[in-house]
Amino acid sequence: MTRIQRGRGGWVVEVGGLTRVAGIALVIVGLVLGGCSSKQKNAGAGAGGPGNGVGENGLGGAGGSSLAGLQHGTVGANGPLSDIHFGYNDATIQPQDNEVLKSNADYLSKNATVRVQIEGHCDDRGSEEYNIALGARRAQAAKDYLSTLGISGDRMSTISYGKELPLCTEETDDCWAQNRRDHFVVSQ
Amino acid sequence: MVGVMKRIMAILALACSMIPVTVHAQESLPQMTISSAPRAQPIAVSALKDLGGDAGHEVSATFGKVLTRDLTLSSFFRIIDPSSYIEDAQNSGFDIGQFNFSDWTSLGADYLVKGSVTRDGDKIAIEALLFDVPQQRRMMGKKFTGDPHDVGEMARRFADAILLAATGKRGPFDSKLAFVSTRGDRFKEIYTSWLDGGTLFRVTDNPTINLFPNFNHSGSHLIYLSYKSYSPELYVVDLERQLETRINPGLGQAVGGALTPDGQIIGAFQRGGRTNLYLLTPSGAVTHQLTDSGPINVSPSVCPDGGEFVFTSDRSGTPQIYTESLDGGEAHRVTYKGSYNTAPSFSPDCKHIAYESREPGGFQIYVIGVDGSGAEQLTQSGSNEAPSWSPDGRYIAFSSNRGGGTRIYLMRARDGYVIAPLTEGQGNDSNPAWSWWMGG
Repeated sequence: MTRIQRGRGGWVVEVGGLTRVAGIALVIVGLVLGGCSSKQKNAGAGAGGPGNGVGENGLGGAGGSSLAGLQHGTVGANGPLSDIHFGYNDATIQPQDNEVLKSNADYLSKNATVRVQIEGHCDDRGSEEYNIALGARRAQAAKDYLSTLGISGDRMSTISYGKELPLCTEETDDCWAQNRRDHFVVSQ
Repeated sequence: MVGVMKRIMAILALACSMIPVTVHAQESLPQMTISSAPRAQPIAVSALKDLGGDAGHEVSATFGKVLTRDLTLSSFFRIIDPSSYIEDAQNSGFDIGQFNFSDWTSLGADYLVKGSVTRDGDKIAIEALLFDVPQQRRMMGKKFTGDPHDVGEMARRFADAILLAATGKRGPFDSKLAFVSTRGDRFKEIYTSWLDGGTLFRVTDNPTINLFPNFNHSGSHLIYLSYKSYSPELYVVDLERQLETRINPGLGQAVGGALTPDGQIIGAFQRGGRTNLYLLTPSGAVTHQLTDSGPINVSPSVCPDGGEFVFTSDRSGTPQIYTESLDGGEAHRVTYKGSYNTAPSFSPDCKHIAYESREPGGFQIYVIGVDGSGAEQLTQSGSNEAPSWSPDGRYIAFSSNRGGGTRIYLMRARDGYVIAPLTEGQGNDSNPAWSWWMGG
């Protein structure tokens, strides 16, 4: 069991020119554990305590998104809108999904205050970075399609999760096909 | 809060004045299974002779442990089992004329490491020497001074010097690996450690997704992509000052990035489904746009001389590897064979590019000349991804599922010989990124 090195003073996070100290508890712990030595390169003390880190985000900051689903073990939970699917390394809307997108557009037309975030997802083949770019193309393809059906761009946002949030993890054609998807998350 | 801190400082000052602090020179290394490479040369690593202050041989043990790990990882050497050593290091000398080479020739040693340690409180001095046993000749010696935390790094630098003396080219062990891991039942977090696994350090701490760590030349800064704001963004961490800057140039959503040797940023940003590369200042201001063709341009890797970078683009219809000058201008296509080539990494001499290519059954790592010549497949077993070159150009770190789960492995760049897994497999490990030499 390798211990994780603890930093000496917590992390200061600079965001947009503002500076704030993140994790003051870590600062104090760091002083207690490291304060007696001028150099604490390999402290390893306090095993089991928090490691040091950047940006302590709590759970659930993204509503019903697939990322929140990762945190709660509910990736793939369905809202009122249905997923659409793509071919391998492809971001073209497939003919069989035209009806799905029309139905999604109907819902958005009837619920005029609802906003939608379109998530692009990929199967697990290929590099992570390329897949984030590919997922962005998939999300944009659905956004463009919904725009042509009259949904205002102001109500739609896109995000790509690449291959990071799969619905299933088997190395099979069926599973890969399920994971190559746009998922639609609505919010008021 | 300030009052609380002052009280704590006061208590600490008191505690420090009362309790003598012993700083141990131990450095823990993770378990690693390294089988000796074919034709590895036998080397004996003798204990350091205690010249005062290391009666418990703690410094000697730490130095020997790290040196043994690194020399074995090099694939040039196999360590002769210390339990077979005839001579007692504490009862014999450590320099030429003070010990019997016959004690080592009889063990079949080609090389021998001996040395001494002096410790005065937290001040440690090590003298380490390398001998050519058959020729009964001193090849090289180094003196190191530092505190107990520095002993592991002294051993890493001596391992690099041994490779220089024995092969004519410095070793890569005074360098770090950054990688992504799900260990500890966490989501993907960024870690750094020495190449040999020492000093594991978790850089990120958020329950989202953190990807694509990449060092600058000195190893002082690390860039990565995180979803911690619930939107993908690039962050640059100053590892020494423990400061972090969010890179937000207003170019759309971040997809990935890399640092140039001098700390400039190549960022991949997507807007309207198109992902392009931009050169940014260290603080994230746009210098100029580097790409504008094809829907996707990602995975920049910069040649260490800072002149060119390599990246993946699907402008031809499939993902392929291209090079381009950091000044901008025309991109040069490198790969033509295969319909899915990505994740390129520049060799340190800027003459070769390692990348992954889709094959039946998974991805395999190739090395190709920067001019597109001489593509060679290095991996065969399992699916192998994300190659990253060592600073000395001898080795490539990559991720592979060959052992079940995804781990980071070390192989030789010249023949694809896989030396060892570098990570333990407590979770999935991916996205290895090798630093330059930390000591410059």
